[in-house]
Amino acid sequence: MWRSVFYKEWLKIRWFILLYALVGFVVIVYIYLKLKHSFMFLGAKNVWGAILFQSIVYFKVFRFIPLIGGTIIAFTQYLPEVLNKRIKLSFHLPLNENKILLLMQAFGALSLFISFLVFLILFGIIGLYFLPEQIVLDSLITIFPWILAGFSSYFIVSFVVLEPMWIYRFFYFLNGAFFISIHFASIITASYRPIILSLTLMSILLSSALLFSGYRFRKGESWYGKN
Amino acid sequence: MEKISRYSLVFITVIVLSIGLPKLFWIFFEKPVKKPFIQYSCVNHDFLIYRSNEKIWEDTKGNQYSRDEYEQKLPLFFFKQLYISGTLPDSINHVPIDLKELAREKSFFHLRQGEIDAPVPDLFPLFESRSGRAMLEWPEDFFRITWRIEFIDAASNKILEEKSQMFSASLYHNGFVFPAKLISGITSQKKSCDEGYFIVDSKNQLFHLKMVIGKPYIRKIEIPYGLIIRHISCVDFKNKAFYAYLLSDKNEIYILSQNEYKLVKWPIEGYDSATSDLKIYGDMLNYTIVIEGYNYLKVIALDKKYQFIDSYSEKWDVKEDLKYGKIFASIFPAQVSMTSENSKYVRFYFSISRGFNWFLLNLALLAIHFALLYWRKKQLRNHFIDLGIIAICGIYGFLAIHFFRNKFYE
Repeated sequence: MWRSVFYKEWLKIRWFILLYALVGFVVIVYIYLKLKHSFMFLGAKNVWGAILFQSIVYFKVFRFIPLIGGTIIAFTQYLPEVLNKRIKLSFHLPLNENKILLLMQAFGALSLFISFLVFLILFGIIGLYFLPEQIVLDSLITIFPWILAGFSSYFIVSFVVLEPMWIYRFFYFLNGAFFISIHFASIITASYRPIILSLTLMSILLSSALLFSGYRFRKGESWYGKN
Repeated sequence: MEKISRYSLVFITVIVLSIGLPKLFWIFFEKPVKKPFIQYSCVNHDFLIYRSNEKIWEDTKGNQYSRDEYEQKLPLFFFKQLYISGTLPDSINHVPIDLKELAREKSFFHLRQGEIDAPVPDLFPLFESRSGRAMLEWPEDFFRITWRIEFIDAASNKILEEKSQMFSASLYHNGFVFPAKLISGITSQKKSCDEGYFIVDSKNQLFHLKMVIGKPYIRKIEIPYGLIIRHISCVDFKNKAFYAYLLSDKNEIYILSQNEYKLVKWPIEGYDSATSDLKIYGDMLNYTIVIEGYNYLKVIALDKKYQFIDSYSEKWDVKEDLKYGKIFASIFPAQVSMTSENSKYVRFYFSISRGFNWFLLNLALLAIHFALLYWRKKQLRNHFIDLGIIAICGIYGFLAIHFFRNKFYE
C-alpha cells in the first residue's frame, strides 16, 4: 500500500520537485560562477580574506532556497487534498488514517531530503575546488540551519494547509513563521554550531504536526463545534 | 499518535512564545539606559564623570563643571579640542606637552564581551614583515595549523609543500607542540608594520611567529608557570610599548612588552570577559581601564609603569529593576533569546525572571484552566499533563495548550 501512496504523491509533486531541484542546482552553480568571477576580478587571496575576516557570506543567495522548497512541496502535496476535501477519499482506504498521513509526509520529507542532500554534496564538492576545507566546512555548518528551516517549513505549511479552521490556520501560520525565523537569527558564519542538534530535534518533533491537523480535519472541527 | 503530535506542537509553541512575547514586551516598554563616561584626570587626580542623559560633568565628590572645565581637566584626552580652543597647557604635572608625543602615547583598546565566545577563522595570512615596501601587501597564501603548519595558495587552493615544511620544521625545533590552541594577530593590511602572530600551542606554550624575508622567525616566550592564556588581542599602538593584551583563564590581564617579550600582569580585579566589556584608554601619563558590565562600571587608573593609582565603581538600575521590569517578572516566568551580548554564537539563552511573582500568575492561569475544564465537564485525568505544562511554563504553556486544544477525549 505504501507504494501506491508514494506513487500518488509522486504524481502530485514530480514536476515541482524536479523544477525545484533544477532551480537549486542553478543557484549553486551561480554561487560558484560568481565566486570564480570575484577570484578573477579581485584576486583569490582577497576573496579568501573577505570570507575569513570581513564576514562575507558568498553563498547568501542560497539562504531561502530550502525554505522555498519546503513551502512549495507542502502546498503541492496538500492544497489539492484540501481544496475539494479529496483527502477524505484517502481516509476511506483500508489503511490507518494516521499511517496514510505519515506516508504522505514521509514521501514529501524524503523528496526534500534527497534534494537538500544533492545540494549539499554539490555545494561541498564544487566548494573544495575553490576553497580550503575549513571554509567549506564552516559554510556547510552555516547552511545547515537553513536546510532545517526547509524541513520545518514543509512540516508547518502542510500542517497549516490541512487545518480546517481559518482562525487557527492564521495563528498556526504566525507561530510557524516565527519558529522558522529563529533559523535566520544570525548570518555570522558557523554561529549556529552549538544548537544544530537542538534545532534538528525540533524539526523532527515538527514532523508529527500533520497528525494533529489531520485529526481535526477528520473530525470536522469548526468554529461552532463539531460538524 | 495525535497526542504526541499535539505535545510536540505545544513544546515548540512554548519555545516560540518565550522568545517572541518577551521581545515584543521590551519593544514596547524598554527605555534606553545611558552609561556614564568616566576618565581619570591627571589634573584633579580624580575620576571625572560625564552623564550624557542629564548633561552633567562632575567628579566623584559631586563637584560639577562646565563642559569646557571638564575638558580642561582631561587635557590628554581632549588635547585636540584644547589645542583648537587655545587652552592646552604647556605642561602637566611638570611634564612638558609635545603634541607629537601626545598623539603617539594616546591609545584605545576595546574588547567586547561577545568577542571571545565567537566563531574564529582557522586560516590566516602571514605577511612578509620586512618586505621593504611602504605598504603591506596581502600574501598569496594562507596558513593553518593542524598536525603541522600548512600554507595554502589561494589561487590554486593547493598546499605549498616547501614553505609548509620549512615553517613546520622551524616551529618543531623551537619546541612547538602541534596543534595550536590559539592563533592571534592583526589580519588587516591597515597596520603600521607586521608583527606576525602569537600562538599558544597544545601545551599552553606561547610563541611568536612571523616571516622575515621569506624565512620563519620563531620565538618561544617565557610565561609564568601555570598561566593558561585564553585570549590574545594584538595591538598596533604608535608608541610600540607592547605587542598585545593577553587574557588568562582567570580573567587576569597581561601585556607583552615589545622586543623584550616580557609578560606584565596589570593590577586589575573584577573583570569577567564573559559578562563585561573592557576598554583601555592610554595617554602620556596614565592608563584608564573601564570594565563595563550590564548594570555596573568599574574604572581603574594605572600609571605608565602599570602601577595602581585609584579606582571607582558605579551601579545603575537596569530594565529589570524598573517598573516595567517588575511587570515583566510578574507575567513571564522566563525568557529565551537566540542571540546574546555575551557571545556571537546562536543558542537558546534561557534566563529565569527575578523573584517569584510570575508563579502567582502561573497559579492563577492554572485555576482558570481548571475552572474551564470543570465548566466544560471534562475528565480531569485527561488533562493532567496540560495542567503541569501551565504550572511550569505559565502564560506560555497556557497559550500553547489553548492554541492546540486537547479534544481527543470528546
